[in-house]
Amino acid sequence: MSQIETPAPTTAGAAEPSERVARFKAEIAEMRLRDPKASRDRVWALVGLVLMVVGVIVAFAGFFISRGATTAFNSQGPAEQRDAIALAVAGVAVTVFGAAMFIRYSFAQFLRFWLARLIYEQQAQTDRIVEAGKG
Amino acid sequence: MSPVDHPPMLEFRDVRAAYGRIEVVHGVDLVVPSGTVVAILGPNGAGKSTLLKVACGLLPPTAGDVYIAGRRITGARPDELARAGLCLIPEGKGIFPNLTVRENLRMSTFTGKSLDEIEDVAFTRFPRLGERRTQVAGTLSGGEQQMLAMSRGLATDPALLLLDELSMGLAPIIVEELYEIVAQVASDGVSILVVEQFAQTVLGVADQAAIMTHGTIVAVGPPSELAGDLSTAYLGAGSATDVATTR
Repeated sequence: MSQIETPAPTTAGAAEPSERVARFKAEIAEMRLRDPKASRDRVWALVGLVLMVVGVIVAFAGFFISRGATTAFNSQGPAEQRDAIALAVAGVAVTVFGAAMFIRYSFAQFLRFWLARLIYEQQAQTDRIVEAGKG
Repeated sequence: MSPVDHPPMLEFRDVRAAYGRIEVVHGVDLVVPSGTVVAILGPNGAGKSTLLKVACGLLPPTAGDVYIAGRRITGARPDELARAGLCLIPEGKGIFPNLTVRENLRMSTFTGKSLDEIEDVAFTRFPRLGERRTQVAGTLSGGEQQMLAMSRGLATDPALLLLDELSMGLAPIIVEELYEIVAQVASDGVSILVVEQFAQTVLGVADQAAIMTHGTIVAVGPPSELAGDLSTAYLGAGSATDVATTR
């Protein structure tokens, strides 16, 4: 670690803080900050991934249970089959929810930038077409 | 007037930063007093640009903290800092090459200023851009592209300006022209942290300079005092002790 202190400014470069600088300092002071160490984005993305996998397993388990429920020796077959189908549907729902969570916490920040750029370029393109139409 | 009453505009406290497992900034302490120009000089790969990325929130530090006006801003989002008035003009200009000059300037209207106001500021400082307002930015010369990048930055009315390798790939006469603008901006009271590999021009503008090698600051002081240390740092002196002994 370097322990070198910056000396005080020596030239007249240290101007009186302008109104802009004062406003900047005020905005920084009022800024709501998250502790980066407390960021849970990665954890939520991982939870989403786990839910996806668990959902798929549950859905397949439901499918196989439903297939095995209707045998000649099982009088409860249709009821068990309905339960298994419900379980499979719940598994699919968990998978969809997990996928949504995973996308939200892993790709969202990256995609937001490209979306903003795409919107701007489309607007600019529209403006150009409109101007060309006027001419 | 105590330092507590008037904290520095920007301060790095034992900042460490890494790309994956590779640490490139190894505990940097640096202060940018309010209203001054501080230059970070050093050879390629010293960690200078990484330090700027940490300052503007693009890269979270692995340890240590960044303070702006006495407030710890470690973990702040870059867009929040940009809205408040911190502006980074990145290495490689950071313009949209497939948009025209005017369209690039329009990208700065997120601050709430009208395009006319932004153009007025940009074309007053850089009349050449005014002549090329409908030209696609990718077809401008390197100097004009850098002017456009600066115009976009200055249009946001920054209070703290971070400049990364302003002179990269430009002719010396263009670099001098750009640093004249930097001096004008500084005289308006804007605090500026500038990173440069090529020292000559920036030392004429800076109030303070720091030499950075191998991810650490090895010397800090007025430009006149550091000029002699530069060649030592660039030619392989890797530690503060090495540079200190050359004085």
